[in-house]
Amino acid sequence: MTLSVQDITVRYGGRIAVDHVDLEVGEGEVVAVVGESGCGKTSLARALGGLLPANAEVSGRGVLRSDRHPELDLGALTDWRGVRGRRIGFIPQGAMSGLSPIHRVADQLHEMLTLHGGTSEPAELLERVGLTTRELRSFPHQLSGGQRQRVAIALTLAGEPDLLIADEPTTGLDAVVQGKVLALIASLGISTLIVSHDLTGLLPYADRIAVMYAGRLAEVVPVAALHHGRHHPYTAGLLAATPSTDRSVTWASIPGSAPPLDARPEGCPFAPRCPIAIEECREQAPMLRLVGDSEVACHRAEMAGDATYPAVPRATSDCGMPVLSITGLRHTYRSRSRTTIALDGVDLEVGRGEILGLVGESGSGKSTLARIALGLIRPTEGTVRLGDDEVTGARGRRLRDLQRRIGFVHQDPYDSLHPAMKVSALVAEPLVIARVPRSERPDRVRSALAAAGLPDEILNRTPGQLSGGQRQRVSIARALVNDPELLVADEASSMLDVSTRGGIATTLRKVAIQRGLAVIFVTHDMGEAIQSCDRIVVLRHGRVVDAGACSRISASPEHEYTAQLLAASHH
Amino acid sequence: MTAVQTSAPGTPVARRGRLTYLGGRVTEYLLVLFVALTLNFLLPRALPGGPLKLFGSPEALARLTAEERAQIATEYGFGDPIWVQFLDYLKSVVTLDLGTSLSDGREVTQAIGDALPWTLLLVGTSIVFTTLIGIALGVIGGLRRREGKGAFTLIGAIVVDSIPQFWLAMLLIVWFGVTWQIAPTFGATGPDGVTVTGLAQHLVLPVATLTITGIGYIFMYTRSSMLNVLTSEPVQHAHARGIPRGRLVRRHVLRPALLPVHTLIMLDIGFLAAGAIVVETVFAYPGLGRLTFGAIAARDYPLMQGTFLVLTLMVVLMNLLADLTYPLLDPRARTVGSER
Amino acid sequence: MSMATNAPGVVSRPRRRDLLGRQGRVGAVLLALIVGTAAYGFFFLPDGAGKKRVGSPYEEPSTAHPLGTDDLGRDLLDQLVVGAGTSLTLAFIVAAVTTVLAAVIGGLAGIGPRWLSATIMRGIDVMLVLPELVLFILAATFLGQSFGIRAAILALILWPVPARVLRAASLTAWSRAHVEAARAMGAGQGWLLFRHASYLLGPLLVPVFVRTAMRVIIYDATLSFLGLGDPTAPSWGTTLYWVQVNGVFLSDAWLWWAGPPGLAITLTVVALALVGTSIEDRLNPNLQESR
Repeated sequence: MTLSVQDITVRYGGRIAVDHVDLEVGEGEVVAVVGESGCGKTSLARALGGLLPANAEVSGRGVLRSDRHPELDLGALTDWRGVRGRRIGFIPQGAMSGLSPIHRVADQLHEMLTLHGGTSEPAELLERVGLTTRELRSFPHQLSGGQRQRVAIALTLAGEPDLLIADEPTTGLDAVVQGKVLALIASLGISTLIVSHDLTGLLPYADRIAVMYAGRLAEVVPVAALHHGRHHPYTAGLLAATPSTDRSVTWASIPGSAPPLDARPEGCPFAPRCPIAIEECREQAPMLRLVGDSEVACHRAEMAGDATYPAVPRATSDCGMPVLSITGLRHTYRSRSRTTIALDGVDLEVGRGEILGLVGESGSGKSTLARIALGLIRPTEGTVRLGDDEVTGARGRRLRDLQRRIGFVHQDPYDSLHPAMKVSALVAEPLVIARVPRSERPDRVRSALAAAGLPDEILNRTPGQLSGGQRQRVSIARALVNDPELLVADEASSMLDVSTRGGIATTLRKVAIQRGLAVIFVTHDMGEAIQSCDRIVVLRHGRVVDAGACSRISASPEHEYTAQLLAASHH
Repeated sequence: MTAVQTSAPGTPVARRGRLTYLGGRVTEYLLVLFVALTLNFLLPRALPGGPLKLFGSPEALARLTAEERAQIATEYGFGDPIWVQFLDYLKSVVTLDLGTSLSDGREVTQAIGDALPWTLLLVGTSIVFTTLIGIALGVIGGLRRREGKGAFTLIGAIVVDSIPQFWLAMLLIVWFGVTWQIAPTFGATGPDGVTVTGLAQHLVLPVATLTITGIGYIFMYTRSSMLNVLTSEPVQHAHARGIPRGRLVRRHVLRPALLPVHTLIMLDIGFLAAGAIVVETVFAYPGLGRLTFGAIAARDYPLMQGTFLVLTLMVVLMNLLADLTYPLLDPRARTVGSER
Repeated sequence: MSMATNAPGVVSRPRRRDLLGRQGRVGAVLLALIVGTAAYGFFFLPDGAGKKRVGSPYEEPSTAHPLGTDDLGRDLLDQLVVGAGTSLTLAFIVAAVTTVLAAVIGGLAGIGPRWLSATIMRGIDVMLVLPELVLFILAATFLGQSFGIRAAILALILWPVPARVLRAASLTAWSRAHVEAARAMGAGQGWLLFRHASYLLGPLLVPVFVRTAMRVIIYDATLSFLGLGDPTAPSWGTTLYWVQVNGVFLSDAWLWWAGPPGLAITLTVVALALVGTSIEDRLNPNLQESR
């Protein structure tokens, strides 16, 4: 065992973030610590790297062993000099923006090598991470995100550490690049601890998975054993909540949300959301025990096969008349230093009750398209029609009247709601703008909230008191309150936890069915699109490269790029 | 017409070339300079007194007959259309023929040429001190944020920054000049003429005034910049990679933190000539500021025009220098358009 | 209370009580004292206070004249108190006008049509090149020295710097998601401005106001010191002008004559600075702007 820790507990001023966790990483083994926001995985990783803030208290025991150095007692460590970089290599989250902007890559590598006594040459390190010597003379801002991530990894390798800790190494990278970076880390042959929220993404690369929930370990399982055997219901839920690109596999979501740091329930923390919870679960917190090949902290692990989660429904009928039609759309951004073509000839249509998926990576033009459809941007060429009315030519009051027939759900649940407005005011805002009579407003607000799956009690809360998923639902309610004909959801779930994404898709589907609403669902996740939409349009560099029914796209993609996206979705 | 490129992820967009970028900036400044010149040209013509005020004081003009006035007017082109006059003005600027001072009959160019070096000496010396002390304190203040001393120095900086220059000048004169007789209180040279010791002695109080009132600002700016960089991601990550504190600060914190300060100081230099008016007046220091003030007080239009020109030129020049030298220090600014 | 409050980097608006830290409270108290003095002068001192001769010249401090008298026998303490009123009134009026100007022009430059934005920014660039103090001196010499003219000139020359700040801020505000969402709802410009952008820009107006007030006090005092102030109104700068003219600092009288006005200026500016920076720190932790 390279790393062996027991009973790690991390507290922030009395609130427990990591609750008595035991973990081991064998030699050359890749262990993935997986969980959603607030589960404590980042605090755990930082504790092992000695990078917790001053107000954190850590307790527990830990030992780092290797062939080349004497045994290191992590618990007794007060001075991390000589450990960080040399024995433990830490790759923090967002390492792409963590490179020194004023030093060339070669100098940065050289610095690490000298500091930690590494024996390689900078060029060798770059080679190991899949870069060429051309990058040696570059500055970080001249490299792409994926390249910078690789440089960050190379920097960590310089000191030849015994243990690598990578905190969310794939955030901010495109799907295809993510796989490559993970493959790289796995191929290094160093004992590694990867912290991530993406369970299925890590499956091809990790040896063992440790699932964390609310500060505790829910399960520790070898990857090979994941698709059979008995598990923690949460693990089963996470697996089911990851949308597969195969339409025959349903997509589910776990209702509710993770408990906040200061309100952990008695007993099993997952019990409030668990479909197979019993009395015992609520009273007594389960300990990790061996069930088959995995260690599971659940009283009812044997029954986990019975755990079912609500699935995202599919369309019940064919779509109706086109609500939105776009023809010949072109848009160019001009700035002082360069000209960018965002859209280069796009046609599409969305019908009543239909959910159209707009899939593409960053730079594909999907966000521009969404904003043009909303009337926020006037395109350089082309027409957008809402029913019989033209959106593109409209200005002033006519444009604003048209905009009231389109609902918008923004990607960012934290920024898209005015921080000082209560939910009741937030949802009512479109009505106020449309000058709907005051007497009608409360009822319409309530019915919009209900359609979005929110209880009435939420009316008096401010966004600061809501979870990410709840905020997005408020956003959806706000988009629905004016009875729109079209809803544009721009990456509506990408900033939410995996377990709640299906819930948002479910709400959108229900609304589409009930109200005959046309929905444009913009996303970068192919799996999500295939599961929740009826038709998909794939965008690349501003052009449509593939379009068709979801079932056809997933079974036989017409374009190489589509196939790439499907593969990168790895679900 | 710029070439059209798509910004696909991963491909750096073609650069525009450093020369084009430089060219763009210089053009902008020339534009600003041109507008300033135009204002300078229009200024005396907008002020009361008639166009002939450029050539003589009101008393002298009153003594001329109507014919003599008309003669001067034609000779100097006041009957010509305005744009002809403007071209003449530009020509005179380029040839450094800025007219004659009404107060003492010297050539404006000569008067400015006599005064400018003194101002440069004064301003240059105080900038050196202000920068060194202000930055040093700012860096220390940024590094020591948590300790109690931090708050004291910050308040000290605020206080020092709030002291009016002219008042501080007077106080220094009272204490060091009169009461303790340590330093001379007026002029730039003593009875021995231009000697190094004489110069230095006469610089003590003016430089002290400018320095004391200037360090507060630089200190706060530097400190704030240090704090920003200390909490920035590259520094946090460098720390996570095991770089020890001393090296971290020297190699990863100082340069990024001081970059904006560098720009600030360059701009400050530009403005300092005008800012020295007060100090030069109180200490009767024969610099450009005092010359400007005197010119305005005496309604000496040619001299006014000349000094304005120089002051504006200095600012534009320093602005341009700041822009040109910045890419030398910050690699990110070197190639425009090559963003990810 | 849910743990999932704001995303990192987003700060909730603090309650009013938290608005001033210890520093800010000191500043506020100081400011209140000065304002109180000015108010006292306004309400309780007779009309000609500080202007009329009330004693013999060059008197030393006594119970009748706590700060002594100047070369014309005018009470120096009266001049100090009345000066407080003049300075503060000028400062706040100009700060208010300047803030409005900067907000409107900066806002327009931020979110208006391209041509307007470009023109405004070029205009600001040019204005920033011209030396402020020289312009003030010019204006005072040729346009007169009455209160109204001074106020107008100060506002006209001081608005470009905060306008740039507010332009940048309005660009940022415009790109916030809740503003975009409101635009997509079909909200008019007025609604966007007052319901959404004001929440983001409002807090910025306070530092702008305070900083402008600070600069006005110093500039006005400097101009008065140079002899370009209003000779009919007692003010701190004018008192110091007479100090300079009469060579007072060559005698002992500097202590009670030259000391208090300068000290008053310094303390007022310090008070404003303390209040301004502590409000700024609390409302805009990400604000890196310098003056």
